[in-house]
Amino acid sequence: MFRKRLWLVVTLAMAMLIAACSQPEEAKNIDANAAEKEGAETAGGNLILATTAAPTLFNPYYSTDTSSSTIEGFIFSGLVTVDQDFNPEGDLAESWDFSDDGLKWTFHLRENVKWHDGEPMTADDVVFSYNIPRDPDYVGPRGLPFEIIEEVNKIDDYTVEFVLSEPYAPFITITAQFEVLPKHILGDVPIAELGKHPFNTKEPIGTGPFKFKEWKEGEYIALEANEDYHLGAPKLDGLLYKIVPDTNTLMAQLQVGEISMAGISPEYVGMAQDLESKGMVKLESGPSNAFEYIGYNLRNELFQDKKVRHALTHAIDREAIIEAILGSAGTVAHGPGSPANWAFNPDVPKFEYDIEKAKQLLREAGWKPGPDGILQKDGKKFEFALKTTSANEIRQQIAEVAQQQWAEIGIKTSIEVLEWSAYVEQTSPPNWNFDAMVAGWSIGSDPDPTWFWHTSEIEAGLNYNGYSNPKVDELLSKNTQIADLEERKAVIAEADAIVTEDQPNTFIYYPEGYLAISPKLAGPTFNAANTYYKIHEWYFES
Amino acid sequence: MTTYIIRRCLMAVPLLFLISVISFGIMKMAPGDPTALMMDPMIKQENLEAYKESYGLNDSVVVQYGRWLGNMVQGNFGESFIRQGVPVSELITARLPNTLLLMLVSTFIAFVISIPLGVWSATKRNSRQDYAITVVSFLGVATPNFWIGLVLIMVLSVHLGWFPIGGVATYGEPFSVWDRLHHLILPAFVLATADMAGLTRYSRSSMLDVLRQDYIRTAKANGFRQKTVIFKHGLRNALIPIITIFGLMLPSFIGGSVIIESVFAWPGIGLLFMEAAFQRDYPVIMAVVVIAATLVVIGNLLADILYAVFDPRIEY
Repeated sequence: MFRKRLWLVVTLAMAMLIAACSQPEEAKNIDANAAEKEGAETAGGNLILATTAAPTLFNPYYSTDTSSSTIEGFIFSGLVTVDQDFNPEGDLAESWDFSDDGLKWTFHLRENVKWHDGEPMTADDVVFSYNIPRDPDYVGPRGLPFEIIEEVNKIDDYTVEFVLSEPYAPFITITAQFEVLPKHILGDVPIAELGKHPFNTKEPIGTGPFKFKEWKEGEYIALEANEDYHLGAPKLDGLLYKIVPDTNTLMAQLQVGEISMAGISPEYVGMAQDLESKGMVKLESGPSNAFEYIGYNLRNELFQDKKVRHALTHAIDREAIIEAILGSAGTVAHGPGSPANWAFNPDVPKFEYDIEKAKQLLREAGWKPGPDGILQKDGKKFEFALKTTSANEIRQQIAEVAQQQWAEIGIKTSIEVLEWSAYVEQTSPPNWNFDAMVAGWSIGSDPDPTWFWHTSEIEAGLNYNGYSNPKVDELLSKNTQIADLEERKAVIAEADAIVTEDQPNTFIYYPEGYLAISPKLAGPTFNAANTYYKIHEWYFES
Repeated sequence: MTTYIIRRCLMAVPLLFLISVISFGIMKMAPGDPTALMMDPMIKQENLEAYKESYGLNDSVVVQYGRWLGNMVQGNFGESFIRQGVPVSELITARLPNTLLLMLVSTFIAFVISIPLGVWSATKRNSRQDYAITVVSFLGVATPNFWIGLVLIMVLSVHLGWFPIGGVATYGEPFSVWDRLHHLILPAFVLATADMAGLTRYSRSSMLDVLRQDYIRTAKANGFRQKTVIFKHGLRNALIPIITIFGLMLPSFIGGSVIIESVFAWPGIGLLFMEAAFQRDYPVIMAVVVIAATLVVIGNLLADILYAVFDPRIEY
């Protein structure tokens, strides 16, 4: 008797739980619209994307993760955006001009732009938004791109003027890309509380091609087409951004067509190529805007001699790494930058795989093999730790290859694999607790290399190596002040060549990026600059 | 009985307190903090410092713990550090039902499959079937859960198309129990496999013990049918130790759910915990720890009570 009742309780509890997990209101769905339009040349439908990392919040002045910024790109618009080659292109701004000294930028806004709630977008919104990170009460990560702004002035309802403290070329591709927020909703919120405002997670209102519809915790973010989008109503009905934490599961979903489009990480390129050969996806590729390297801590005596760094690079067979570990999804890197970027300099000193040369350079630098075969100098052995993170399998494998190849020239390395947060904490300022690290950088929409190599970036910036070269400093300080693209390119090229000659890093490869696309989806192409370029024109072929 | 339950509940309080102290300590000992994910050339150290300051991350661990505990005893789990402004309780309420459902169903599956298998195995001791079950059980113990999950996804979902690949429901479909179950079966089954093997072995040996007892021999001697002897006289008594196992299994269900939820994109607290752990979202980590610990304590209490219900010799 008791047991019977127990089962009843258990069954009831399960039924209640199933009911609790349900939300009948979601029944009204976007796909229903798709059915109505069937037979038309373009079928509408939902673009389904997936991420392994859930987004955090939808406010570009507070979020820092890729998922969030991708979705922000759908909901909001900036003054400008970039095309597929990193060239600035008007978005909310129809056009812009700047004074000869490069200090005064004037943006002419489109007049037909409406917020998702129907209110018109005006210069007030721009002034409000671009002043957020400049506010003394601002608690958020985006202060830097706004530091060069002295004033943001409304000239009239559709004209905004920026006064800069110094000419700054990345202003247009970095700062002016920041998305504009609605003043009529957020204008009265104290800036200190803006990061925690429910607007960011419950009801973001923007001017972008898609409107926020629903965030189902841990499951998906659903967006629907903004019929009033200023560049034209999207052909798609909506966009579903699914959270699929496991990459294997994500690949399985891609295989059965439950995902319309996905970036493919190097480990899964083979699998994606297999799917392509079966006609399940289109696979597109091209250089990513990034470089992978082994970075040396120049505070460590071992690495202070340039000859030693050259030797370390000569000892690594990067061709073999690319072939064996990446399945050829990359090209050999000699210096910084990326072939995906307009500022790339292919004409830098080259360091071919040459063990004999490596040995000779080390001999010249005073390192002699000891009794155990390990190089010695002044009684000190050439041994160090190579750090990398468990978050990246490829980097772990690179560390293992480097360990073996350095062993061949008498250098002993131990590999330390750290969990991501620990890795970041140990290697970044003010700890710099590493001898050498396998790492990589993404470059961003402006190619300014200041972040990586300028002496001023050592103390708190990304110059983890502690690299300092006065000539490079001079060139880099100059580069952001040059408005002319070709002229600026030459300056960056010169700086990159010097950095390459100095080899603070062994540059390993420029990764190739891959994008798997549903065969029916028309519109997306692989490019490093703007994956979702003109997404309002994408459609499914019926 | 009532006083016993009350006493046990009171005893749980210092236990949970201790668990929270240790968890908080370990969590804080792990290097890094929520700003570790904000690595970007365009982010200034100063901005990160302001962020840390606003969330009190620069205070001493004791102060931070005190603040957390103060809120906690008032039933306030605080706000997420990463999903800024979102109360942790909101995240938990959205996800806990999913995890509980998964756990309940998988416990159900584990018991429904394992106990009959164990009993059958015991009655056919040293037969070919017994050996087969034993081999499969050991394989089950030795195979990692997530791997079984991935293999089942590849075979049953991708190639045969019988089950959806992950998620709790089909997007855009109106709610239906069938759709929910369809999504639930695979993850629940895989989560169950972790304990099924052990459970089968336990019920087998427990049944064997019972079958050797005098009263079983007496029953047989009295001419009762084999079935009656095994199921009526044997099974009831063989089940008693299994109840203890149920209490011991709970933690492994919660631990296992972290991995299974990830493989099956099942939005439960296990997945929430994993995300929070990587992001160092301290309030979320602590909330999940406290809830998981409470669940385990309740599960054990439940097992003890059931014990008394099934075994008249035990009184509290």
